[in-house]
Amino acid sequence: MDFLLPDFTPAYPEIFLLFMICVVMLADLFAGEKNRLLSFYLSLLTLAGCAFITYGIYSTEVRYTFSGMFVGDAMSDTLKLMIYLTVAAVLIYSRAYISLRGLLKGEFFSLTLFATLGMMVMVSASHLITLYLGIELLSLSLYAMVALQRESAVATEAAIKFFVLGALASGFLLYGMSMLYGATGTLHISELTKSIQQGTADHDIFVVGLVFVVAGISFKLSAVPFHMWAPDVYEGAPTAITLFIGSAPKLAAFGFVMRLLVEGLGELATDWQGMLVLLSVASMAVGNFVAIAQLNIKRMLAYSTISHVGFVLLGFIAIGENGYSSAMFYVIAYVLMTLGAFGIIMLLSREGFEADKISDFKGLNQRSPWLAFMMLLIMFSMAGVPPMIGFYAKLAVFQAVLEAGYVWLVVVAVVLALIGAFYYLRIIKFMYFDAPEDTRPILFKPDVRILISTNGLAIVLLGIFPQALMGLSLSAIQHSM
Amino acid sequence: MNSENLLLLLILLPFAGSALAALLPANARNTEAWLSGCITITAFAIVVYLYPSISAGEILRNEIEWLPGSDLNFTLRMDGFAWMFSILVTGIGFLVVLYARYYMSPEDPVPRFFSFLLAFAGAMQGIVISGNLILLAIFWELTSIFSFLLIGYWHHNTAARDGARMSLIVTGTGGLCLLAGLVLLGYITDSYDLDHVLAAGNTIREHELYVPVLVLILLGALTKSAQFPFHFWLPNAMAAPTPVSAYLHSATMVKAGVFLLTRLWPVLSGTDEWFLLLGLAGMSSLLLSAYFAIFQQDLKGLLAYSTISHLGLITTLLSFGSPLAAVAAIFHMLNHATFKASLFMAAGIIDHEAGTRDMRKLSGLFSFMPITATLAMVASAAMAGVPLLNGFLSKEMFFSETLGQHSGSVLDSVLPYAATLAGAFSVTYSIRFIHTVFFGPKPLGLPREPHEPPHWMRRPIEFLVLACLIIGIVPGITIGPYLHTAVTSVLREYTPLYSLAVWHGINTPLIMSMTALIGGALLYLMLQNYLAQSEDGPPGIRQLKGQRIFERSLVTLSWRWARWMEDTFGTQRLQPQLFLVIFIALIAGCWPFLGTDPAFNLESTTGMDPAFAVLWGIGIACALGAAYQAKYHRLAALILMGGAGLVTCITFVWFSAPDLAVTQLLVEIVTTVLILLGLRWLPKRMEQIDDATTLIARTRRLRDFVLAVSCGGGMTLIAYTIMTNAELPETIAGFFLERAYSEGGGSNVVNVILVDFRGFDTFGEITVLGIVALTVYALLRRFRPAPDSIEIPEQQRIQNDFDDRHPNRKVGETVHDYLMVPAVLMQWMFPFIILLAVYFFLRGHDLPGGGFAAGITLAIGLLLQYLASDTRWVEDRLRILPVRWIGLGLLLAALTGMGSWLFGFPFLTSHSTYLEIPLIGKIPVATALFFDLGVLLLVVGATALMLIAIAHQSIRSHRARAIESAKTQEDD
Repeated sequence: MDFLLPDFTPAYPEIFLLFMICVVMLADLFAGEKNRLLSFYLSLLTLAGCAFITYGIYSTEVRYTFSGMFVGDAMSDTLKLMIYLTVAAVLIYSRAYISLRGLLKGEFFSLTLFATLGMMVMVSASHLITLYLGIELLSLSLYAMVALQRESAVATEAAIKFFVLGALASGFLLYGMSMLYGATGTLHISELTKSIQQGTADHDIFVVGLVFVVAGISFKLSAVPFHMWAPDVYEGAPTAITLFIGSAPKLAAFGFVMRLLVEGLGELATDWQGMLVLLSVASMAVGNFVAIAQLNIKRMLAYSTISHVGFVLLGFIAIGENGYSSAMFYVIAYVLMTLGAFGIIMLLSREGFEADKISDFKGLNQRSPWLAFMMLLIMFSMAGVPPMIGFYAKLAVFQAVLEAGYVWLVVVAVVLALIGAFYYLRIIKFMYFDAPEDTRPILFKPDVRILISTNGLAIVLLGIFPQALMGLSLSAIQHSM
Repeated sequence: MNSENLLLLLILLPFAGSALAALLPANARNTEAWLSGCITITAFAIVVYLYPSISAGEILRNEIEWLPGSDLNFTLRMDGFAWMFSILVTGIGFLVVLYARYYMSPEDPVPRFFSFLLAFAGAMQGIVISGNLILLAIFWELTSIFSFLLIGYWHHNTAARDGARMSLIVTGTGGLCLLAGLVLLGYITDSYDLDHVLAAGNTIREHELYVPVLVLILLGALTKSAQFPFHFWLPNAMAAPTPVSAYLHSATMVKAGVFLLTRLWPVLSGTDEWFLLLGLAGMSSLLLSAYFAIFQQDLKGLLAYSTISHLGLITTLLSFGSPLAAVAAIFHMLNHATFKASLFMAAGIIDHEAGTRDMRKLSGLFSFMPITATLAMVASAAMAGVPLLNGFLSKEMFFSETLGQHSGSVLDSVLPYAATLAGAFSVTYSIRFIHTVFFGPKPLGLPREPHEPPHWMRRPIEFLVLACLIIGIVPGITIGPYLHTAVTSVLREYTPLYSLAVWHGINTPLIMSMTALIGGALLYLMLQNYLAQSEDGPPGIRQLKGQRIFERSLVTLSWRWARWMEDTFGTQRLQPQLFLVIFIALIAGCWPFLGTDPAFNLESTTGMDPAFAVLWGIGIACALGAAYQAKYHRLAALILMGGAGLVTCITFVWFSAPDLAVTQLLVEIVTTVLILLGLRWLPKRMEQIDDATTLIARTRRLRDFVLAVSCGGGMTLIAYTIMTNAELPETIAGFFLERAYSEGGGSNVVNVILVDFRGFDTFGEITVLGIVALTVYALLRRFRPAPDSIEIPEQQRIQNDFDDRHPNRKVGETVHDYLMVPAVLMQWMFPFIILLAVYFFLRGHDLPGGGFAAGITLAIGLLLQYLASDTRWVEDRLRILPVRWIGLGLLLAALTGMGSWLFGFPFLTSHSTYLEIPLIGKIPVATALFFDLGVLLLVVGATALMLIAIAHQSIRSHRARAIESAKTQEDD
């Protein structure tokens, strides 16, 4: 049997990462207790290497390989670069936190990198099986990461819930995919479109498949009504892990929705548009309302994530380059804000103290004015106050939806955004106007200080000059779809 | 420098100054003041410098591309109206900075103050000269934020915190509404550019979205300008330092609302909705706030209500929709800014020098600060609308406008009276302000000895009061040209003829003015004694505070509703979460069929063998039983599951897939046995669950059952329909069937696929299997059984008790021969099982069997030994080294694969031939056979490794018990 070697070029970053994961695991095994930071530096180096390779192979052409199961295009490369950046930031933010909690182990790094690999496969998948492979690689790593702190009952419970619900959602997704296969006889994403265009597929079966695929997607995105896992997992997992779960996977999820709904099922847009409208409105409403009632900041941010997902979905509802690129912009903005917010929660925590109550932020301005100011920027940005990036992100999706003719949806979204602004402002009030309950100084290393400052500045600067990022998103979408 | 860049500089200067101010040390009061002063005066100079081109009717523009794709440019645009406001922002800004230098005490952290103040000035300037709606909204929100920070400047003070929060929530919320309104406006006109929007008046007014746009924009403007019913934040914002009140709450920020209304007046006004909404809000603010102002005891509170009332006057004027009224409105904005800023500063001086703002304590200050008193008197007179002062002129214009025809309703006849009444109230509170504070007996018990303020602190007031006088006496030549520039830029071709003369002869407005003056003075005389001791707030409705309603609704909205929603829709328990998810999935699954006629095609059930149907009936019954027993009887559930598995195996046989059947059967056996072994270590099952039998529990279970059945049924139905109806896509099966023998050298296609066509996959799979086995082993090595499962099983306990009671029986005698018969049988069967495995292995390439099946068979042989005999007994006799088996298997598989390299073929290329062996005969010997052997070894190793790991738990539990009993003995 003859067999041709596939073109490995588009998958170089993934191959390199897989190789380096093995190196990290082995190095960690032989490094011993004292040299735990070796894995940390190696992981950062790996990400830098991946970025280098991705940048090197970046091109605006669409390149298929592995018999059309894997694709490299502008969108995947851009998203991958963002993912590396995010994961690197997560690692730097988490270092002190995990070393104080005995999590500075090889597992943390190898699982993080495996999850990263999963995300990369997700955004580069052009075949339903590849897509599923990526999702499961990511999800399984995340389940394990949530349970990493084995003595913690809360974390274990969160992990079990995450796993059970996640497995169920994967089931939905697979079921949906099998319907799509049943209707078209293909698993290639690009061929799905063709078969719909040619009208060879049974529309009814298609829509049933679509419903389950959308259900699976909304679980991964934590959109209402499949959002239940998010608050529990966010609260239960160690903050470093929460930061990871809340940030990079959303970028991958964006890529996943783009591949599946837009690239594969774009012809059925009228069918999924309605479903997304429901999900989006429900997410914005539940997320924003319930967030107000939270006393735990991690839980509050979980609900805030749910509401942000609702806004991201608006971009998809708009359909068209502008809609998708504004959704991408929103996701990137969201990741920036989440990184900063959880980063600050981790900076406030100490050994045996999690700083996850909203009241722990009281009087932060007196303890560390700079941190308080950074948090102020992040909260304003999340609330969508100009000139922060969050404002522009909201504006962009609103505009896109308005162009699509959904005036009522914009009005509803604005009202819900308004309600949402309330709980972010409460944190600002706590930080600036209340007396601190705890006057111990906050200690952190210079690298974290640089990172958090960069993070805060990015939120402001990208809000004032959004065209660079917006242009990037737009060109990524234009060259890929 | 050209004027475009100057516009940009106007915005950048304050922000740059703000950044700089923030960096200065905390005690640099003078440096801060110099810096801020220089910046504001430079900005003022720039504005003045631009006047010639503005007065020529030119509109200065500076457009910087910001986001070209979405019609969002950084457009600055200055026309006459914007110019007038720029003068206010920069000019009064400078005066306030000067004043603040003396007002702020050396202990205050001034860098923060000046930094926020400058940033606010920049944002306000931005609102005024924005040429793009979105840009305007951005600056609008910025003013809300900086106002919040400035009001809360003294954050140790509760009132300051509450006031700041309230103002931010009200104005910030309004700002977001405004943004929504402006986005919609942009949607209607297809552009966010202000010029473009202003040219599209008719399109906007006739558009179906006009009312929502109007409501949203009014919400923004009315909250910002503190108009009824959103007025309550302004009095609470008086906790701010007085320079802030003078700047934000008289001259600039609160004016932003009416500024915007005037800006959009040409495109939005003139409709009934506009008049009703705006007129009602304006009139209520005008009248009610003037009334409230009379009864305030706090100096600044009085001024705050008066501000609301004056802004109400402007709003009312704008609501009329007549050009003349708009002129009056613009004029009054200017006048109000001048006299109100000076009054706030005067109030600040009084507070600063006397130590209190409570009018019940203040009196007779004239003799201590005569100059300040005189200045305040002139300014109050302007506020009251006394002739020869600027306030009189615009008020006169207002009165004459109220006389006109507006909507033809009852409002028209009420308006003049209401206006006069409000005028009278404003006279009353103005007199009160002056009379209480400066006249009367000498004050007693003031915190400080009052005296004149520093010279330079008074300068700003002197300047502003002078402006009031000059404008009031000779309006035509002083303010006339500037006002005209502003008016024409707003009204363009609709600019009416108007006259700024002081004397228009005796006409109705003058009579109204006089009535108001006299009435107001009389009212003050009547109320004078009451006011001297009364509580804060108007009598009768003192309890009705917007603030309280606001707080209460905030709590309801933010806490009760949110809690209710979380309680209703959120749950932290997995079971309801699962229920919800599946329920929603069910509904979603039904969705596509709503309204359509579900055409399920179920005809192909004919021709089914009854025996097969019975078989499946048994299988389904087993599966249901397993599900039913899963919670209460694990062993039964497991056995029932085995039954279901068996039915599957038979089904495979039925459909002529013996190889699958064999594999499935073996896998069923091995998993069942492994689970059986593991079952021992699960925590004890709940024998008695108290609430398991209640009605609620039963209903819940019934509900879950219905859900499960409908989901399962639905899935089956859909799957069945698709499998029987959809055209099956072309599969790869044909390819394999065709080539299995010719290219793979075997007639068992499944096996050929496994070891040849998909050899690479299999290689990966066995590697994973090896890793899994190692992981299970590693995990179980650290496994600590739950305390309740360490106990001796019930049967052994009974047996031991029996042994104890009979003296002739030794302890453990019964256990000794436990399972004797099966153990012997198993031992005898062991060689046969090995033989079977070899048989499976050798025939695998052509007939059902193969390395995997053989491996499992061998593993079952080992398992049976462990089950029937004691773990230690087996291990004494049998040395199994599973890890070596695994390693050997992998190595063999890899070597076979690499072997093909020697012949220049890719990895895992196989070659097949037949070999004649004595006794056995001709057997197929493909290189794949070695590969298959590797699979066999690995499967045996992996299964055995897991098995041993579990089996060793029982040894360790004995040990744990021994340690436990040793401990208790020691304790005894």
